[in-house]
Amino acid sequence: MENSSEGYHISFFKPTTERARYNRNMVIWLVSIWFIAIFGFQILLKVIGKPVPQAEYLSFENAWSNIDGGNHTGADLQELAASCLSVLGKITLAPEDKPVLDDAFSWCVYHLSPEGTRQDLLNEIVNYRQTSAGISTIEDPEYIRSKSFLSVKISPLLGISEYDVRRNIIPFALEAEGMGEMKPETKGNLPAVMEKYLVHNQSVLTDIKFLGFPFHYFYTAVFLLILFVGLCWLYCVRIDARNKKLGFSD
Amino acid sequence: MKKRYIPLLLAFVPSTLQAAAAATELEGSFKVGPAIILIAILVLFVMIGIFFRAKDTTDFYAAGRSISRVGSGMAIASNWMSAASFLGMAALMYGSGYHGLAYVVGWTGGYVLLLILMAGQIRRYGKYTAADFIGDRYYSQSLRAVGAVIAILISIAYCVGQFGGIGLMFRWILGLNYGLSVIIGGAVVLTYTLISGMLGVTKNMQVQYVIIILSFLIPLFILTAKFDYFWLLPQIGYGSVVTDVIQGVPLSESRQLVNSLGHEFAMVPAPEFAMPWDPASGQTFFQWIAIAFSLMIGTAGLPHVIQRFYVVPKSSDARWSVVWGLFFICILYWSAPAYAAFGTILSANPEVGKLAKDAIVVYTAQLGSVHPLIVGLLAAGGVSAAFSTVSGLLVAGSSAFAHDLYVKVIHPTARPKSQLIAARLGTILMAVIVTLLALKNWALIGQLVAVAFSLAGCTIFPLFLLGIWWSGSNKQGAIAGLIAGGLVSVIAITYFIAGREGLELPFHDFISYWLEAWYFAIFGAPLSIIVHIVVAKLTKPTPVEIRKFLIENVHS
Repeated sequence: MENSSEGYHISFFKPTTERARYNRNMVIWLVSIWFIAIFGFQILLKVIGKPVPQAEYLSFENAWSNIDGGNHTGADLQELAASCLSVLGKITLAPEDKPVLDDAFSWCVYHLSPEGTRQDLLNEIVNYRQTSAGISTIEDPEYIRSKSFLSVKISPLLGISEYDVRRNIIPFALEAEGMGEMKPETKGNLPAVMEKYLVHNQSVLTDIKFLGFPFHYFYTAVFLLILFVGLCWLYCVRIDARNKKLGFSD
Repeated sequence: MKKRYIPLLLAFVPSTLQAAAAATELEGSFKVGPAIILIAILVLFVMIGIFFRAKDTTDFYAAGRSISRVGSGMAIASNWMSAASFLGMAALMYGSGYHGLAYVVGWTGGYVLLLILMAGQIRRYGKYTAADFIGDRYYSQSLRAVGAVIAILISIAYCVGQFGGIGLMFRWILGLNYGLSVIIGGAVVLTYTLISGMLGVTKNMQVQYVIIILSFLIPLFILTAKFDYFWLLPQIGYGSVVTDVIQGVPLSESRQLVNSLGHEFAMVPAPEFAMPWDPASGQTFFQWIAIAFSLMIGTAGLPHVIQRFYVVPKSSDARWSVVWGLFFICILYWSAPAYAAFGTILSANPEVGKLAKDAIVVYTAQLGSVHPLIVGLLAAGGVSAAFSTVSGLLVAGSSAFAHDLYVKVIHPTARPKSQLIAARLGTILMAVIVTLLALKNWALIGQLVAVAFSLAGCTIFPLFLLGIWWSGSNKQGAIAGLIAGGLVSVIAITYFIAGREGLELPFHDFISYWLEAWYFAIFGAPLSIIVHIVVAKLTKPTPVEIRKFLIENVHS
């Protein structure tokens, strides 16, 4: 970038003074460090990252192949229900994906319940839905009773232990309507929904821990900001020193 | 002060504390305690403004060029820390995990470019506004006018997100719906700007910084201590919270740690919170890179940021003020992800329901059972962050209108009184436009503010970069570059608005992905720079007096 038709030319890449040359070199060094630190690291993350499934996804895959093939056992239903709860508990769950998971979960619960208790279960789910729609506070006694009844009654059916947080999600995932039959659209969409939420890009950089953080998270959220302040500080110190050496003043 | 006032002040304390208990509700009723804190903070800002009133134009625009390096750094940080930083950043990470860190990196990394490429040189150039620089460097009144219009558009785009944040916090404090809260918040911020706009802006910004950062940090110390993490340095201590989010937190036998609704501090494993470009976030690697890049070059092209370098005595002070400013900004940016991590666990129970992401900072403190008065201080800090930025932007926008358009282009013989009226009318008009746009609630605060960054990256940034560093950059090149960058901006923003209004334009999905409103500068800025260089090479060289000025005043 140089204009040579007359005098008084300024070009970053073709400095004419010692100070300008020094500044150019400093800028090139710092921008290179800055660029590689930000974008180089993200590119590295992308290159070495591999899709890694959560344990729940592997359980789901095993169970789903049997369920889809029509030769499932109670254990398969338990695995599918627990996997669905693992996704239903995520705050990133998109509203359009929830009905798919609710339907699959409710279907599992229905078929895991002993036949004689199914009608009671359906009645309790309907009661819970009606109560929760009408309450003004979550401390409503009937609401609390109905919610905990469903958790306590259903979690043993699913093989979910007392301290498993998924217990808390059970009442919110039950749909009484059409519990006995899984909807065709659920069958079609469930594998994609599960893959979306249960498979993650991971690598050695995401698995290593540093000061409690996953390393890549620490690097991006904490270290890069320290580096930015450090680069700015370094530039100011070096330019001030060079200006002083050359007798340059503002 | 007066001993006689003390009983009066003390008489307020019990009622304030009692009223503040209302703040434990996530939404709903009017919260007197937070409202009183907010009013007190705004009155304090106005009082400081009156005390350090600007005495003349130089004092107003450039604070008499007498601000220290640390003081100027605080002013830069206060000017920068808007609702997008205070509320929006945690919201982005709460909603899309690691993807949100692109905003953290983008909004800080740009300062490195700003420092090494522009800060000292801008100070030496010696103009008051971005439009002044453009008009002077490119020896064109028309470009000055275009520069002023762009500065106004950037201010409007930047303010829309701020008004959204003000609306959310007013909704939380007043217990009203979002629309009404935006209108009331907009009216309050306009009144505040008209009262304080001509006052001691820079001094005020230093005080604002202290209040904003304290209100942000205090609840974080409390949260980390309360939930048994390393609280002495919560910016590091929350690393274990991130790991807990990834691995999940089981229910405990003792039920010691609960949120304010009585739910246990527990959640299912959620690796999508921290894993890069996770499918659950719906965001890709390209989008991460594009956002970080656009925000960084936008930072180096925002008129109200560039303007801060005129207020220091020397160019070395301008450089050091960036170092201090960035450090002060980073204190908040190191902390914001912690709110997102805590918020993710505290709101994990389905009973909490879907929370407004942009208010997650306040909800997190509430759910963490932080004292209602401190939650109120946090909300007031959020409003203050938005107010300080909005008043600065409205003043910058109305200055561009009154100073760069009205006086320099439309009516050169205008008297100071009519200039002042033009500035006031410009402020009111901008506030009305911004309020109407904010009512649309088109996107998250951080995303709306990012639109302003991409706009600045496509338009102002190339003009400053080439104008400072290449004497061959001329008027024709600047016009051509502006047209190219402007065209990309218009396409991206048109598709964004059409999409939000339910219209399907041709190639909608393609354009919306590659030229999304919050990162279109990834293509727009390089295109503008290339077109600028090519056209400048093919046309008449820059006048010798401009080149001489660059050599003797800017680079010598």
